[in-house]
Amino acid sequence: MSPAPRTQRIAGWLIQAVCRRLPPDVRAERCREWTAELPAILDDQSIRPSFLRTLRALSFCVGISWTTRQLSRSARAASRRTRNAQWRTGAMRARPPELAVRAVRGLLIWVVVVAAVLGLIALLRTRGLPPALPVMLVLALAVGFDGFCLADIARATQVRYLHKWAWVIICLAQAPLGGIMYLSIGHIGRDPSRPTSSGGRSGTIR
Amino acid sequence: MKLTGPLQRVLTVMIADPSAPHYGYDLMKAAKLPSGTLYPMLARLQQDGLVDAEWEAQRQDTAGRPPRKYYRLTAEGLRVARLELAQAASSAPPRRAGHGAAWPAPGSTR
Repeated sequence: MSPAPRTQRIAGWLIQAVCRRLPPDVRAERCREWTAELPAILDDQSIRPSFLRTLRALSFCVGISWTTRQLSRSARAASRRTRNAQWRTGAMRARPPELAVRAVRGLLIWVVVVAAVLGLIALLRTRGLPPALPVMLVLALAVGFDGFCLADIARATQVRYLHKWAWVIICLAQAPLGGIMYLSIGHIGRDPSRPTSSGGRSGTIR
Repeated sequence: MKLTGPLQRVLTVMIADPSAPHYGYDLMKAAKLPSGTLYPMLARLQQDGLVDAEWEAQRQDTAGRPPRKYYRLTAEGLRVARLELAQAASSAPPRRAGHGAAWPAPGSTR
């Protein structure tokens, strides 16, 4: 077997591997397009000696890997924007399975947090530290987390299922479970089409 | 559309003969760009409707080569490309490589 078909086969295999990152609707076409470029690279007589053509084909594959990463990232972002826009218009609010999944996920996170806090308290007690210290630490964490959630509600364009004030009350009434449930169920990303005062990232505080 | 250096090079290649279709490696060589820069750019241009892509018809004389995907500027793409390149050319700083009219000769300043 001459080196060129072997290189073409290896490069084709690499392209197929990195194309798996792409959304299914464009995967086959992109893979076909980039694989079809390989003969042109490997037969390019302006690149001499021949091992440079092999290197060129392999660097082409590295670039394709970068391309698939970027394309899949932008496809995910577009999908997230569409989903958030549907939430904002209320088109997806009546989906009980998703609500249930989000609620269960929030409860699981809460269980993990409580277990971690109890473990921390037990650990600090075994070290002979004053009992007030773990309580103070947990309170500080709870207040900080609630502050973060309240700031997020204040900045949010819209929240899911309940009015903003209802989520504020839930967050204040049951820390940290309320905040966790808000982030799991009520939180929607900010509207990307809405400009921020700093013109920066969506998380910028106004 | 923000005219970056790589985009300017691609548009310059495509605008040289707007009716000529270009495949990826052809553009890579002409614009001297790596595939990781070219293809995301082509995807964005295609998404914005500035570039159109079509598959090559399978012909007998291609010696078993798989059909390629060819890119071409759309009418809107051609208009935008001409406008952007003209603006870039007018706003570009004057080059030193000329007869030195835009730059003072060494020692001429006080």
